Amino acid sequence: MDHLVILIAHHGYLVIFLIVLAEALDLPLPASLAMIAGGAAAASGALRAPVVYLVAITALLIGDSIVYFLGRYMGWALLGFLCKVSVNPETCILRSAELFYKRGKVTLIIAKFIPGINTMAPPLAGSMKMRFEQFLCFDFVGASLYILAYGTLGYVFHRFLAVIARALGAAGHVAGVGIVLVLAGYAAYRFWLYYKNRIYRVVPRVQISELAEKLKSEEADKILLVDVRSHGYYDAGTARMKGSIRIEPNNLNEEIKRLPKDKDIYLYCT
Amino acid sequence: MREATSARVAHMLREKGFNAFVIVGGLAAWRKAGEPVEIVPSDDLVHLPMFS
Repeated sequence: MDHLVILIAHHGYLVIFLIVLAEALDLPLPASLAMIAGGAAAASGALRAPVVYLVAITALLIGDSIVYFLGRYMGWALLGFLCKVSVNPETCILRSAELFYKRGKVTLIIAKFIPGINTMAPPLAGSMKMRFEQFLCFDFVGASLYILAYGTLGYVFHRFLAVIARALGAAGHVAGVGIVLVLAGYAAYRFWLYYKNRIYRVVPRVQISELAEKLKSEEADKILLVDVRSHGYYDAGTARMKGSIRIEPNNLNEEIKRLPKDKDIYLYCT
Repeated sequence: MREATSARVAHMLREKGFNAFVIVGGLAAWRKAGEPVEIVPSDDLVHLPMFS
């Protein structure tokens, strides 16, 4: 925090702009801290408050608009990527979309304050074909509230910032330990995946050429082609193997009720 | 990881008594080999709700 204040006092508006823009582009940078520091710098006279606001709102609106248009043109691909950390990407997307749709566009006004929703809101608005002018209006209000809330916090409490900085320093230490634990957990998870997939290697595999032969022979009606992609089935014009059916891999217990036991089931993903 | 989903599903299906196989290379290899594909009918697509 101390470093951030010094950095912002020296390079001021540029640093605030870059950090806020990065957060709007869904990169993990602390825009809220940058705005607190900006507010504090304004209180101490190093920066001018209206300019801090203008710089931050410009950065947020530019970043959010970029993600909005990415969502608009990439659709499920981008949403799936943003949802990847959740257990079931498809549910993550549909649930966010439903919340957005039911609670209405007002979600955008409070979205910045809710972790998880803040990264999903602009690309979802794009994917759900919200009108851009409308998106910009709601996002403007939401972004303004966000900046004013944190900027004011820094402005009012700039005298106590040293105290807060010390507290945050301690918190930063805890965060450091947390990051190490998360990384270790991720490594263990990858190892477990590797181990599990070793087991899966005993599953029989079939080459395309072999399968194509079978499909031309009298065995053909014993064959069922099954698409198990969890993404890519959402955009119009998506292709699949001729004559295949789809099952949702994340809902297997329900889906297997539709599968015949007397056929050979050939599975494929991307 | 290639064929990760197919392998996982095939493994689970086999445990439930289905005769399941993994197609090596998946859809990409299928297309490359010039085997027939079809467009997914719109009834089978999952749709996002839209603001219109």
